[in-house]
Amino acid sequence: MNATILNGALAGDGFVDAVAAALQDALQAQGWTVRPWQLADEKLAFCLGCFECWTKTPGLCRIDDAGRDVAETLIRSDLAIFVTPITFGGYSSALKKAVDRVIPLISPFFQRIDGEVHHHARYARYPALFGLGVLPKSHPIQAEIFDTLISRNAINLHAPAHGSRVIARDQDPITVAGELTQILSREALA
Amino acid sequence: MHTETCHVAMAMRAPAQTREFLQAVDRADALILAFPLYVDSLPYLATLALERIAAHRQSQTEPRPGSFLAIANCGFPEVAHNATAIAICKQFSEEAGYAWAGGLALGMGGAIAGRALSEVGGMAHNVIAALDLAAEAIAAGNPVPEDAITLMAKPFIPITGYMLMGDIGWLAEARRNHVLTRLGARPFRQGP
Repeated sequence: MNATILNGALAGDGFVDAVAAALQDALQAQGWTVRPWQLADEKLAFCLGCFECWTKTPGLCRIDDAGRDVAETLIRSDLAIFVTPITFGGYSSALKKAVDRVIPLISPFFQRIDGEVHHHARYARYPALFGLGVLPKSHPIQAEIFDTLISRNAINLHAPAHGSRVIARDQDPITVAGELTQILSREALA
Repeated sequence: MHTETCHVAMAMRAPAQTREFLQAVDRADALILAFPLYVDSLPYLATLALERIAAHRQSQTEPRPGSFLAIANCGFPEVAHNATAIAICKQFSEEAGYAWAGGLALGMGGAIAGRALSEVGGMAHNVIAALDLAAEAIAAGNPVPEDAITLMAKPFIPITGYMLMGDIGWLAEARRNHVLTRLGARPFRQGP
């Protein structure tokens, strides 16, 4: 089983890095092949919103950088994990830059999903999606926004299953990673 | 009310431009962020701008009091797609020490397609009316009224018609680019 971890830690955020590393170790110990992305360190341009990935080079971003590799790694995975400091309830800028670059993985054409309009899938399979958000301290409103954002992304990225967890910075990364690995093994790909 | 427009893409380009941008933010009694929805939330550049504004204001002993209004626009026909982004903006407003003036959400953005509202014709009537109401409220130091939010959320055309026009638009663009038969391409190989 393949997992991709998109680590959206901002520069110098040792706690989020530690959580992502602990999660990687715990998954590997259970037999997963894990591709971690330390996004803040990558040469990654931001999405230009040109839609050429839909109408000029279908399925491929015009920018030939790590953004293409992130998209390829994701679509070849069974599980995508977004690890991020929660900023105002959403993703960090580092994670958002990478997430914006994955739209080549879907089709421009519209379809209705549960009565709401979304884009068609481009590929036969998509990874399950799990979001792990880090807050300085408990903040139920921001945690709810984060959970909702993961759920919305799961619809638009055609994830067959999804889940999320929000933790505070006073929790032990290794304990958190161990707990999450159990959850992901049992439920994420069911 | 004096207005100043900053383009976030320029402001985030280099430290000097970000400093000028933050100085403009410091001069403002009201901050208005207009953005397109990208993958269910604010695009990267707007996310980065909010991080920088919040950090900047949190570093000040007495940040200038002001209000914050968010205007989100999505290519899906339903305005509800913007809800998460508006919620994120409201949280930013609190963390950055602004009074939350509200969020205006627009759907069917593809029908406007980057044109000036004055060039869009009758279809944009409700949008212009909503923005006028919002501007009036902001200038008076008030939150945006519900009427403005409701007007902004009104669909231009029936959803089925918008979906059809959207799909035809993608096909036409692909035809212009000579990739009509490759629109469903899967350039990345997946395992069995």
